[in-house]
Amino acid sequence: MAKRVLIVDDAIFMRNMIKDIFASGGFEVVGEAANGLEAVEKYKELKPDLTTMDIVMPFKSGIEATREIVKADNAAVIIMCSALGQESLVMEAIEAGASDFIVKPFKAEDVLGVVKKVLGE
Amino acid sequence: MTIDMSKYLGLFTSEASEHLEHLSQDLVRLEREGNREVIDSMFRHAHSVKGMAASMGFEQIATLSHRVEDLVDQVRKRPEAMSADIADLLFASTDHLQAMVRCAGAGEAAPSASSLIERISERLIALTGAAPAATRVVKTTLSGSAPQPEPPPPSAPAPGPELPPRFSVRVRIAASCQVPGVRAFLVQKKLSALGNVFDLNPSVDDLKAGRIPEGLVTMQVETSSAEAINKALAVVADLESTEVTRVEPKSAPAKPPEAPAEVARAVGAEPARTLRVKTELLDYLLDAVGELLLSTSRLREVSKGVPDTYQPPLLEGVDRLRTIVKDLHNKVMSVRMTPLSLITDRLPRAARDIARKRSREVDLLVTGAEIELDRAILDELADPLLHILRNCIDHGLEAPEERVRLGKGARGRVVVAARRDRDRVLVELEDDGRGMDAAHLKAVALERGLITAEAAATMSDREAWMLCCAPGLSTAKEVTDVSGRGVGMDAVKRAVENVGGTLDIDSTVGRGTRFTLRLPLTVAVINVLLVGVGREVFGLPIAKVKAVVEADPQFLERSRRTPLLPHDGALLPVHPLGALLRIDRQAPGGVRPHVILDADSGPVALEVDQLIGQEEAVLKPLASPLDLVPGLAGVTILGSGRPIFILDVPRLQV
Repeated sequence: MAKRVLIVDDAIFMRNMIKDIFASGGFEVVGEAANGLEAVEKYKELKPDLTTMDIVMPFKSGIEATREIVKADNAAVIIMCSALGQESLVMEAIEAGASDFIVKPFKAEDVLGVVKKVLGE
Repeated sequence: MTIDMSKYLGLFTSEASEHLEHLSQDLVRLEREGNREVIDSMFRHAHSVKGMAASMGFEQIATLSHRVEDLVDQVRKRPEAMSADIADLLFASTDHLQAMVRCAGAGEAAPSASSLIERISERLIALTGAAPAATRVVKTTLSGSAPQPEPPPPSAPAPGPELPPRFSVRVRIAASCQVPGVRAFLVQKKLSALGNVFDLNPSVDDLKAGRIPEGLVTMQVETSSAEAINKALAVVADLESTEVTRVEPKSAPAKPPEAPAEVARAVGAEPARTLRVKTELLDYLLDAVGELLLSTSRLREVSKGVPDTYQPPLLEGVDRLRTIVKDLHNKVMSVRMTPLSLITDRLPRAARDIARKRSREVDLLVTGAEIELDRAILDELADPLLHILRNCIDHGLEAPEERVRLGKGARGRVVVAARRDRDRVLVELEDDGRGMDAAHLKAVALERGLITAEAAATMSDREAWMLCCAPGLSTAKEVTDVSGRGVGMDAVKRAVENVGGTLDIDSTVGRGTRFTLRLPLTVAVINVLLVGVGREVFGLPIAKVKAVVEADPQFLERSRRTPLLPHDGALLPVHPLGALLRIDRQAPGGVRPHVILDADSGPVALEVDQLIGQEEAVLKPLASPLDLVPGLAGVTILGSGRPIFILDVPRLQV
């Protein structure tokens, strides 16, 4: 069965791009969220196998959302989507419980490589 | 596994001092509110110090903190056993521990703690009927040679649970990884979730900064099996290779079980988002950036004289350099900002001691301790604040029975409140004691010949209260060992002014006194107005300048021999700067600029020959013997390379 993915990013452009990458890799994108608040709600509702999380978002940052999701579900697999220059934020997210990260701009094969690695495939 | 403990000495002293500082604050709270939470916190602090001292091999520190821990534990079990004597014993022990930690850090012989250890032991025997357990300490040498494992003493508690096996881990980050630092941090984080991490190389700070030679990260991990490590690493992307091998213990571990964990947390696994830096290093940085600022101004000055063909690119470069240096300067200044709590945290303890000594009862309330000031200012303020507090309690507050008779609560109240006011910080210390009587202060000052009868007659209440800062004036009915002999407030005022601040006093008889310290956020850079007298140039701090007015001295009104300048509906006394500084020159005639300044006694006008301009000056302190000259606040170097004095306006007229 295809693994279920939740995509969190405040930019529609990024969400669509990430969605396409996951579709090409045989994943099922089950939901999208545009900010940290939505992310926490959607996560609880959908219980995805994997979540991609943007860091800087309105209302609630990706780091805060990660912290809350991991608190509720210790086994949550969250991959941070970061940009060069955000190293300290990514480390903060790792402290908060993120499983791994990818660095923008990313190539499809890099994203799928990290994801498969994290899922132990 | 042998560790050279000397590299942890700095960390030990700073962290142990912090714990002891907290312990002391908890003690004050315990006496006041005495709840379980405070006792638990005290126990933890004493326990931490014990653990650290034991792994450093500081036997006396470990033993005394162990006894403190035991005594606190007894109080926890039997709150009714708590007494003022026990509090005194705990206070004395905490102070002694601080002294010992300081000595240990400085490599000096520490004062013996035997008598305190003995006294606490007696207490413990009285409370429990049993002698306290011996303290286990690691024998270690700080020179870097291998420590000797020590067999546990016979009376020691049973050794802790068997330590889990250790594994050496080597991970190479893929060269293609864009952010190897974050990658390595993730590895470290995943492994520290499995157990204690030791010998992390490079250090966490280097990892975070991406300083990883050849992408190689090594560490030792204490965990159940190699498989657990491999499993954790299997799900981390971008790792070129991983290698896990078991480390055989060289000798039976003799350390208390909590000790290695303590060290590991300090050096490796802790999510270190902050970094401890020596204050001297910060001073050096500020000095260096100050020099950079001066050199940049000098370059800018020089580039003005360069031929037109080269000037634009040169100026552009210099301007860019200036922007960067100013930004750097701001960053360095912000790094030096430290919360006021650094000095106010000690006040409750001091208040308690002073009140106990003088049979006063006092509640101290501190607000705004989170406000940040330059570290250099804080360092200068610690003693003055303490001195004012002493005065408030010792002279301000009445004895409890007198307070009751006056219809006040038996417990006096001292409030220390800090707040930001634009680019200044206001710190107010206010008591609800007897207040100061302006007439009485004037009478005493007159009697001691500190002021003339004429001055006393025209003196405002505000000025009269400031008399308590005059050297040699103390109106306390008896001189106490707490408040000293009236030299104190004089020094307080000077200290506050030396960092560029002002001191104000407001008082109501029967209601209390308020001391207001108005402080700059930073000391180092001040805006100065450059003025010329003859061929000399001086700087006046812009903060003190109210206005500049042009006038011809010849046509000014005079009171006796002092010319008076009309300004803002008042007549201000005019002081010619040339005469004040005794500069030998041919004074120009006609209209001249008058700088109106805020002096202690109110506004005054300073007559100068010319205004030169405004400059951001890096204030450098004066070295001996120039620092003895009254009226000079410091020196700076202008863009032209010329050194000039910055004048200390309030003290100039003396």
